[in-house]
Amino acid sequence: MTFFAPFTIPFIVGTIFLFVAVATKWILWIARLPKVDRRLIAHNFFSLGTLAAIWEVVRESLLHAKIFRRNPLLGFMHMSLAFGWFLLIVVGWIETIVYLGFEMIPLQGHVFFKYFMPLNGIEAHIPLFEQLMDALLLLVLTGVALAWFKRIASKAMGMRRATKHVLFDRIALSALWFIFPARLVAESLTAALYGGNGFLTGTLGGFIGELLPTEVLTTLYEPAWWFYSSALGLFFVAMPFSRYMHIFTEIPLIFLRRWRLRPTLERKSYDNFEVEACSRCGICIDPCQLQEDLGIHDTQSVYFLRDRRYNMLSLKVANNCLMCGRCEAVCPVGINLTTLRINSRAKRRNIPHEGRYRYLTSLDRSSGEGKVGYFAGCMSSLTPAVQHSMERIFEAVGEAVWYADKDGGVCCGRPLMLSGETDAARKMVAYNTDLFRRHEITTLVTSCPICLRSFRENYHLDGIEVLHHSQYLDRLIAEGRLSVKQGEESYSYHDPCELGRGSEVYDEPRRVIEAVGELREPRHSRRDALCCGSSLANTVIGDEQQLRIARRMTRELEETAADAIVTACPLCHKAIARSTHHTVVDIAEVVARNIAE
Amino acid sequence: MAHRVVIVGGGAAGMQTALELKSRGIEPVIVERDIELGGKARGWYKLFPSFTPAGDVMRPLAERVKRERIRCFYGQEVTEFAPDGVILRSGERIPADAVVVATGFTLFDAHRKQEYGYGLYDNVLTSVDLERMMNSGAVTLADGSMPRRIAILHCVGSRDEKVCQKHCSKVCCITGVKQAIELKQMFPEADIFNFYMDIRMFGPGYEELYREAQERHNIHFVRGRISEAAETINKRIQIKAEDTLTGRPLRMTVDMLVLLVGMSANYENAELAKRAGLELSPNGFFRTVDSFLGAVRSQREGIFFAGAATAPKSLADTLAEASLTASAVDEYLKNSFNK
Ligand code: SF4
Ligand code: SF4
Ligand code: SF4
Repeated sequence: MTFFAPFTIPFIVGTIFLFVAVATKWILWIARLPKVDRRLIAHNFFSLGTLAAIWEVVRESLLHAKIFRRNPLLGFMHMSLAFGWFLLIVVGWIETIVYLGFEMIPLQGHVFFKYFMPLNGIEAHIPLFEQLMDALLLLVLTGVALAWFKRIASKAMGMRRATKHVLFDRIALSALWFIFPARLVAESLTAALYGGNGFLTGTLGGFIGELLPTEVLTTLYEPAWWFYSSALGLFFVAMPFSRYMHIFTEIPLIFLRRWRLRPTLERKSYDNFEVEACSRCGICIDPCQLQEDLGIHDTQSVYFLRDRRYNMLSLKVANNCLMCGRCEAVCPVGINLTTLRINSRAKRRNIPHEGRYRYLTSLDRSSGEGKVGYFAGCMSSLTPAVQHSMERIFEAVGEAVWYADKDGGVCCGRPLMLSGETDAARKMVAYNTDLFRRHEITTLVTSCPICLRSFRENYHLDGIEVLHHSQYLDRLIAEGRLSVKQGEESYSYHDPCELGRGSEVYDEPRRVIEAVGELREPRHSRRDALCCGSSLANTVIGDEQQLRIARRMTRELEETAADAIVTACPLCHKAIARSTHHTVVDIAEVVARNIAE
Repeated sequence: MAHRVVIVGGGAAGMQTALELKSRGIEPVIVERDIELGGKARGWYKLFPSFTPAGDVMRPLAERVKRERIRCFYGQEVTEFAPDGVILRSGERIPADAVVVATGFTLFDAHRKQEYGYGLYDNVLTSVDLERMMNSGAVTLADGSMPRRIAILHCVGSRDEKVCQKHCSKVCCITGVKQAIELKQMFPEADIFNFYMDIRMFGPGYEELYREAQERHNIHFVRGRISEAAETINKRIQIKAEDTLTGRPLRMTVDMLVLLVGMSANYENAELAKRAGLELSPNGFFRTVDSFLGAVRSQREGIFFAGAATAPKSLADTLAEASLTASAVDEYLKNSFNK
């Protein structure tokens, strides 16, 4: 048998095109990886990471476990499409092999098996296969129906807003919607003409057979297969340019990630894997406060990645983001959205003049002496109560402290990084690193989560333990070095983005608060906490808009009816304080006030 | 029978309106939140630009209110007002034929600009604290010694988006000049620096006083806002600013920092306005029909305004406006009831 019929041409062309396009992309991306990344791959190729990656591919790319956890219906939709289709291919493959042995059967022979081998052409026919294939087809069709349903009623799937798509997505999406109904029709017609026992196609075929005269059936037969093949072909051609490229990108991404490749503050080839792994599922839209509070609908991560992928990223979209990480926290693909956003900005960075930072060479305004260094952070000089409280606490526990910036210091560099000025930021990083080394500290406590994050992520401070002051306070209390009074007051705690989602510090501040009073949680808290809106990362929205974001967030804190609102970031402190009439304090102030005499 | 008008607030605006109404044969009733009349001007030391003791203006007003036997409710807060009367927190309702809102303003809470260290550092005070100190006769540093170098900062809680106060409070510039002169007279040896963004000398005699401060009293005016203040070990205040005229950053250590706090809208305005069906201006003060012939009228017939409830105003402007309010109320009552 030749396994050829003219109707298979669209499918064959589409498949070859898809194969060439995807292979070209992969090869180019990998070839352009910087040396460090290639070395990482070589180093980690034969490691447990590879096994873990295989398991992760099954779990995420096929079963979509993360989406399941978020919303079962949405998860089922993704799973039935991906896993259902995957099984259709695999089981179909086995079916052909069982019937025809390990002969070289061309691809279209597998895909259009029912056409080439209708039931009456097989002697030892195995009904199990037929039922199984029908069941799988039904599973996929359910997925398609749900996808339709999601377009009309995304709310039912836990999404208030669905993504707006580009042209290629629409072509691919329409083709995708037709593929499986077309297959159903083609196989049912086949069953009607040549017999079939599957509970779906067989039954439907029997039904059509009774309804329509044979002439009509034979006239429809070829066009139906043509239609099915064309839908597949069209889908495959559109696929590499549409969001469905994610299917072929997420898999290598999972491996690369397990081999420890990461995006950096500057763009590199690895970013392609992250950018194109976005399925534009739109899950990141709802959590974005720019959308919810300000009605800005074109800058969310899904659109940012889309624009970047098609080379139409505007500065405005790149810059209009709080980098609050709320989207990153829910992205089922685990894309490093913040870093990608930063390196999009860095693309247009200024190269600072060498002389510009010469003043840093001989600068040292630090004071005191001790193994513990305290870096209040520039923002903390606008909330001096924090510094004051920390000084009182250090004194109470008799800690010998070296004060890095009591009399003014050099910025940690993160604000510059956030706006993409990575070269300028490096000057600050180098200066501060040298300063810390010179004073031989072993612990570095900072009161600013922004500094904390940059010390942890962008500095190389091996041998120096970096702590946020809430962690340090928690430790002092736990170790019994600092005794505090348990009071009657209640506090509602606001998780700063850079401390919570950014640095995964959630429990320590809560334990500290519970040691001195009653802790109350606002509606959104921990990983789900709202952003205060005053983020340094957003250079597009104005003051009024920042305030609108802050007001809604603050309202949730007020609703707990706690005696005071507590936060652990000077920037959040300012943002909350100006949008409420309630008392707002830093966690250090709360502790300092409750030191047991 | 005389028409009754309830006046919400017994400060300068409320008292003056009440007296004017009384002289027109109308029965005013004052509802005051505090336990005595006088409002914000109570406890003030001297008034700009003439250095008239505040008591010389406020005392006669309060005495006349008493003499005229104007009915006053003390320690009572109005939770709702309408053209036909007001409702008190106690639930009691006072019926009226018209209502005058003379609820004034709220002083900006200097704690909200934590970078200036108010409440944190002993020698940082507000312009209001300074008036009180002058009134009590003793202006000293926290340890009882005399200041040798003083900084006065303009626009604290005014013209500042970061604390949601975009408006100019109008009276603090001239207050700053007045207080600088007073301090200089008290401490002739001291150096005094006023940090400002613009100097706004809109009233009669103000500009002259500003010149006098520079020429006669040698007070330094530095154009630039202080960005932050920190306390030194010996309890002095180190300030950072930018001198925007020379374009240089500036650090200076002073003994005392005076914050010229601005006038904010009352927090309660939003709720009161909602209940009365009125609108507020974007800065939270009550909105008038316009700033010309309708400057004391609200969008609702029968509800009037007097004083700083609608915008920051000086005491002189407030007193002048109160007479205008009284005549507008009088006209309204004549038109609507005596047909
Ligand atoms: S960024 Fe993540 S959450 Fe957003 S659309 Fe892409 S895959 Fe979905
Ligand atoms: S980081 Fe925050 S502001 Fe930026 S797109 Fe994500 S949710 Fe929106
Ligand atoms: S009057 Fe002067 S000090 Fe007051 S807000 Fe206006 S400009 Fe600032």
